[in-house]
Amino acid sequence: MSEDRLWKFRKPEWMHSAWARNAGVYASGGLFSLAFYILLDAAVWSKRINPTDTHVTFIDWLPLIFSSLGMLIINSVEKQRLSADSFSYSGSGVAWKARVVLFLGFASLAGGMAGGVTVFVMKYVVRDVEWPMMGMGVENVVANGLVGLSSVVLWISQNMEDEYAYNLAL
Amino acid sequence: MPSAGLKTIIALSFVLAVGFLLVILSCALWHSYFPLLVVATYVLAPLPNWICSHCSAGPDDFVESGSGASAVLDLGRFFTGFLVVMGIALPVVLAHSRIIEIGAMVMSIAGGLLIYGTIISFTMFFQEEQEF
Repeated sequence: MSEDRLWKFRKPEWMHSAWARNAGVYASGGLFSLAFYILLDAAVWSKRINPTDTHVTFIDWLPLIFSSLGMLIINSVEKQRLSADSFSYSGSGVAWKARVVLFLGFASLAGGMAGGVTVFVMKYVVRDVEWPMMGMGVENVVANGLVGLSSVVLWISQNMEDEYAYNLAL
Repeated sequence: MPSAGLKTIIALSFVLAVGFLLVILSCALWHSYFPLLVVATYVLAPLPNWICSHCSAGPDDFVESGSGASAVLDLGRFFTGFLVVMGIALPVVLAHSRIIEIGAMVMSIAGGLLIYGTIISFTMFFQEEQEF
């Protein structure tokens, strides 16, 4: 198994532990919560305090909805089906289907992030919104970035789980 | 875990009472009862973990390396992490929009963390009797 390694540096021991995997999943949930509440903060602030006409509307929520949908799709796909080719145990091209679905998920996630930047630019930067109101647009970008980060953390910790299970099976 | 005796129960219930005191004080001092949501959040926080650990087949599936069973566990962990951060983020959101005061925010966050710490340490201390 050690001859198959590609990289010079081996993974540290603690990355194989179940503890690190669970911590990763918890952290991913926390990051997603942070993203949601940052955007909610923008919406509540816009309703309660915002003195100008630039309000947070459904358009501002749309990128977060798309990134969350992408995150849901990406992390619902069984990762082991990716390496399975169609002629091996999984018949009828499951690997191909997994790749298509995964592509849709990543497209939705990236589209959500791009949408966040778009809303920020079109609604706040172009219209020369003053700074405390500009914060609502920045929060939108930050929220979508955090959803992406959360999904990366969840992906990594689920792959860690596979390594762990493999070690346990040996 | 070391054996949890009567002293642990007394200390934990004392901490729980202090946590509730902080949260209720943060509501009553400023006559705004939104910080009570923090208590609800932290009481709900261990619930997804608990439900999902009962939904999967039991401790055996951990060896089977099928990720279908541990996916349910991961879902529970994800929502627990979501709720824990929600308990901190909710007072900050409320305070940022000046629905509650900064003092109420600090007190409700501290009280909520004490309540959640009590729940977590209680389950850690008394897990053996429930599981086996």
